[in-house]
Amino acid sequence: MYIPKVAVLFGFGINCDHETAAVFEMVGGESTRVHLNSFISGEDELSNYDILAVPGGFSFGDHLGSGRLMGNRMRFSLRDELLNFIKSGKPIIGICNGFQVLVKTGLLPGPDNNEPDFIQRASLTLNDSGRYEDRWVTLDFNKDSNCIWTKGLTRIDCPVRHGEGKYVMPDAESLANLANNNQITVRYVDPQNPQSDNNNDEVLPFPLSPNGSMMNIAGISDKTGLVFGLMPHPEAIYAQWLHPDFSRGGAPASTTDIQWEGQGLQIFRNAVEYIQSTH
Amino acid sequence: MHITRVEATPKSGPGLRDVRGDVVRRQLSADHNLDFSSVKTIVGFLINSDVSHEEIAARADDLFADPIIEHSITNHSFLGNREIFSETPDAVVSVGFKPGVTDNPGKAALDGFRTIFPEATPESDISTYITYLFYGMPQNTSTEWLSSTLYNNLIQRSFVTEGEMCNSGNWLMIDYPEKPPQEFKTPAHINLEISNEQLIDISETGLLALNLTEMQAIQQHYRNPEIRQLRQSAGIVEDKPTDVELECLAQTWSEHCKHKIFASKIHHTDLETGEQAVIDSIFKTHIMKPTHDMQNDVDWLLSVFHDNSGVIAWDDEWSVCMKAETHNSPSALDPYGGAMTGIVGVNRDILGTGLGARPIANTDVFCFGPPDWQGEIPDNLFHPSRVLRGVHAGVRVGGNESGIPTINGAIVFDERYLGKPLVYCGTVGLMPRKLPDGRESHIKTPSAGDVVFMVGGRVGYDGIHGATFSSLELTEESPSSAVQIGDPITQKKMIDMILEARDLGLISCITDNGAGGLSSSIGEMAEYTNGCRIDLAKVPLKQPGLSPWEILVSESQERMTVSVKPEDVAAFEKLALLHEVEASPVAEFTSTGIFHVQYEQSTVAYLPIEFLHDGVPQLELESEWKIPEHKPFNPPQTADHNTILTDLLARPNIASKESWVRQYDHEVIAQTVVKPFVGVKRDGPADAGVIAPIHGNPRGLVVSCGIAPRYSDIDAGAMAAAAIDEAVRNAVCVGVDVDKIAGLDNFCWPDPIESEKTPDGKFKLAQLVRANRELERICRAYRLPCVSGKDSMKNDYGKGPNKISIPPTLLFSLFGDHPDVRNSATSDLKHPGDKLYLVGESLEELGASELAFMMTESGQAAGIGGNVPLLTDPERLFSSYRALSKAINSGVVKTAHDCSEGGLGVALAEMCIGGRIGAKIDIDGTGKTSTWARLWGESLGRIIIAVSAQNNAKFLELMTGHTTTLLGEVEATTQLSIVDGFDELISIEVNDLVTSWQGTLDLTGGVA
Repeated sequence: MYIPKVAVLFGFGINCDHETAAVFEMVGGESTRVHLNSFISGEDELSNYDILAVPGGFSFGDHLGSGRLMGNRMRFSLRDELLNFIKSGKPIIGICNGFQVLVKTGLLPGPDNNEPDFIQRASLTLNDSGRYEDRWVTLDFNKDSNCIWTKGLTRIDCPVRHGEGKYVMPDAESLANLANNNQITVRYVDPQNPQSDNNNDEVLPFPLSPNGSMMNIAGISDKTGLVFGLMPHPEAIYAQWLHPDFSRGGAPASTTDIQWEGQGLQIFRNAVEYIQSTH
Repeated sequence: MHITRVEATPKSGPGLRDVRGDVVRRQLSADHNLDFSSVKTIVGFLINSDVSHEEIAARADDLFADPIIEHSITNHSFLGNREIFSETPDAVVSVGFKPGVTDNPGKAALDGFRTIFPEATPESDISTYITYLFYGMPQNTSTEWLSSTLYNNLIQRSFVTEGEMCNSGNWLMIDYPEKPPQEFKTPAHINLEISNEQLIDISETGLLALNLTEMQAIQQHYRNPEIRQLRQSAGIVEDKPTDVELECLAQTWSEHCKHKIFASKIHHTDLETGEQAVIDSIFKTHIMKPTHDMQNDVDWLLSVFHDNSGVIAWDDEWSVCMKAETHNSPSALDPYGGAMTGIVGVNRDILGTGLGARPIANTDVFCFGPPDWQGEIPDNLFHPSRVLRGVHAGVRVGGNESGIPTINGAIVFDERYLGKPLVYCGTVGLMPRKLPDGRESHIKTPSAGDVVFMVGGRVGYDGIHGATFSSLELTEESPSSAVQIGDPITQKKMIDMILEARDLGLISCITDNGAGGLSSSIGEMAEYTNGCRIDLAKVPLKQPGLSPWEILVSESQERMTVSVKPEDVAAFEKLALLHEVEASPVAEFTSTGIFHVQYEQSTVAYLPIEFLHDGVPQLELESEWKIPEHKPFNPPQTADHNTILTDLLARPNIASKESWVRQYDHEVIAQTVVKPFVGVKRDGPADAGVIAPIHGNPRGLVVSCGIAPRYSDIDAGAMAAAAIDEAVRNAVCVGVDVDKIAGLDNFCWPDPIESEKTPDGKFKLAQLVRANRELERICRAYRLPCVSGKDSMKNDYGKGPNKISIPPTLLFSLFGDHPDVRNSATSDLKHPGDKLYLVGESLEELGASELAFMMTESGQAAGIGGNVPLLTDPERLFSSYRALSKAINSGVVKTAHDCSEGGLGVALAEMCIGGRIGAKIDIDGTGKTSTWARLWGESLGRIIIAVSAQNNAKFLELMTGHTTTLLGEVEATTQLSIVDGFDELISIEVNDLVTSWQGTLDLTGGVA
């Protein structure tokens, strides 16, 4: 079986690089933590890898807006490399701060064609509460999405840990377009509501929606389904013992061979299996 | 060079809002009951560079503003811009930093500016500000006062426009904070052949915090003919110190660095028993000796006391370390910056342990004045609610941005912390037992000839005299240079780089730059090789012009001192370049026996290592114990226990801290198993933090703490014992392996040296003696080694009759092994039908209880006196802890909660809140005492557990021989009912408990 090579970015305040590298290894990938500057200086090449992960953290302290400065470094210094990576059909994930970076570089949601143009079309801004918070949310996945990362997922619990997670777009048409394209990959949902909330665009009350995101958006993907970003942290529920209901016997079980597996691991397995299927 | 102004302000429209403005509006409402109709904000940048206004304007939306959500404007202000702000505000306040104060957004903006304008002059700099526009201002609100709630004049500037000036568009614009030039002074020579009065005068005016004996010891040093000869051959003034030397000695000999009170010889008198004793160093006698004795019995105590934190072996592959520090004085003057430097500072202690450990968890414990304090505030200090907000924000930003989860802590309130808040910050570290090159990571390996690098931030005027300043009491004139703001991102980059350097085998020795700056960090490391030579001219500065002594002692943040073998220098520098971390070779280790400091070619300090580290004379002090007098606490004949319960739950010391704690990232690193809040709605209190830091491996670590300052009012010895027992109880509740636990003792005391300004010094020192005697007794009984600790001994404000002294306070932190995190218990009640038991026994101990304080404050009782909880038989308790821990670790018990403030009643209420479920309890048989003592008393050694019917017999078998009393059962109701035999005491809805518990400290003002 081919072992996909995963580049996990770090440096400048990214801080979920260790666990993000670990979860890819658990599902059969080979992770390398790579400092962004190693790609910019040419010491390492993005093209050496099959998957790129931009983990959570506080790149540049979130000053001037979360993900902005990191996004600029990538937009201005790594543009061609990123373009080639996407063109060769390799998946990218941005989690939390990584999602903010991908939105600020313009890779998410991206243009309507499949040619990244590095133009910012959306933003992630301060939570309506004005507070950074760490709390668990329930996510509902869009079954009609072509996103390779979320294949087969329906609903999972995982933590959000952010102060700037409110997804906004400048006008109603852009949002409608995003929805029509099935690029709204994952949304916050009321766990008491058994129905998929994909038709409910009304912003859920705090804390069901922790930030007041438009249309309860928690994560989106680009037109190709290869680039995916989300504010919540699926890597933080790689094991059932990390679920807050674990001591109550209520942590959702996994359907895989790993007995203690948590619900978040499938996202990373999807990308690893996707690469394996192309080899 | 010229200044370009760029401003950004949020766009309005459906779904968009000015969140920063909303937060200010909500806080004014929550803290001061003032309702504004709206508050808007503008973020401003003042760019000092050679890039033209037009070029900057063309790229403003690439950097300074987010075009999706913000408007931007270049070279103008939005103030008066009718398109954006159609209405005239009632008042406008702009807040920016004073010159030279760390401006983190400005630093980040400059970094982004260089990405876009790589050709801009290297001297470019950016300063930031925020402008608040107030609309619908309530009548009689003073704009000056409004401004004062938004900034701290020690570090910030504020520009205010109000009333008519707003109408006429006459805005007061904030300008670029030009740094005044620093004047470089060549080292002065200080004549010490002067009178004793003059010696003291030098110490006081120079903020040296040295007493007469110490000044005389220095005087003697320079009289020694051998020393004079040595100095002559080194080419430095022979018979007197340079200012560099005197400052260096003052920092190294400060109470903060040398712990002179803990090292002193104490003549102790106990007026209660008639005992007379001499204690030669409390530290060596009561802390170090017991730990060293225990080191003989176990093989996992790798490094104790001598390094930046204590290290224990966790398993064959990994070791863990922990350290806790206080940052009280800086937090009093600037709560935000003081607390932030506290947390990022203790992170560096972990990074500086052995050859470098990775910080993986933070703890924080705060002691404040009452958040709703109505009385006077001492000059130069802040209202407790503002201290709480500022300290919390500083710790939140410091921890969250560093990517270190905050997994455990506490907040304690008492009027006396008005004079000085206590800000304890702790960090747990993880390191591989062996590095790839085979060296054991907990052992430093420096040799003469190694090159010493300063890594991370630069040295500035900020942070001069922190160590000596914290060794004095606070006054109105306390200096602003002792206050700093941390820069977590610069530090995070440094941590990433240093851990890579460690794994590449490039580090031979490492320590952090904290109190005393380079003089302490290089000075301490030079003890290993017996000498060093520093060139201060090689130290990178934030601004030119600092004098040699200032460079040597400045405590500017985010710096580590790292030594590297000459052959590894190139690789080390290359790694620094990759991570964009500044690393400058500033010194080398020698074996000359001399702490040798040069500025370029000239020698500015030449101190024997031995004199520097061991020259400080031992203090001799007197202590005298007599029992403090209090009116006894007698509860009323009859009472409504339902009301007592809801009142206790609402007491700040007991009330939920969730709204504050949830703002800390407690889950980064994907390891936190028992989180700070647990239960159905994840809002019940956790007893301790549990983490599984090796991904995929369920082996865990437990981190807990204990603190009980109220008991000091009766006996500081009982206070110390209670703190230790609480930390251990908390850890047992989640299932720690009691045979592998280690502790940290952090003492915060009022000045215990008798003097004119401290007439009761003998008593305060006796309190310290009693606390340490109990610490030794309990730690020996619990096989609990103290592996690291710290003391802060001058926690007083002012002098004379208005002096405020804190209650003597020991924070005891604990870290220990958890064999399998899947068998962790939590405090929330789980299933109807589970049996509830009390492990331990209630005694008649209501003295200094939360109940006694509450009833005394409300006039229902005469005083708080009486029996304070004591640990008469700790060995017996410990064996019951071991049995219970075994029951949890075998999966038999899933629910456990310790009884502390508010006793059994409050503990049961908290368990019901966590489970959102009822329980039926009978406290008959839980102790041979009054109902009051059994229901509300705080006797130590008590834990409530719940066990399923299926595991009941197995639990009882495991607890054979230990005091275990059936309390009742979890019920499928929402009602907590407590009886004492035939007497009904409590019958209350769980939702009412939730409301009382959660209301008091939620000062967020909601989300709307």
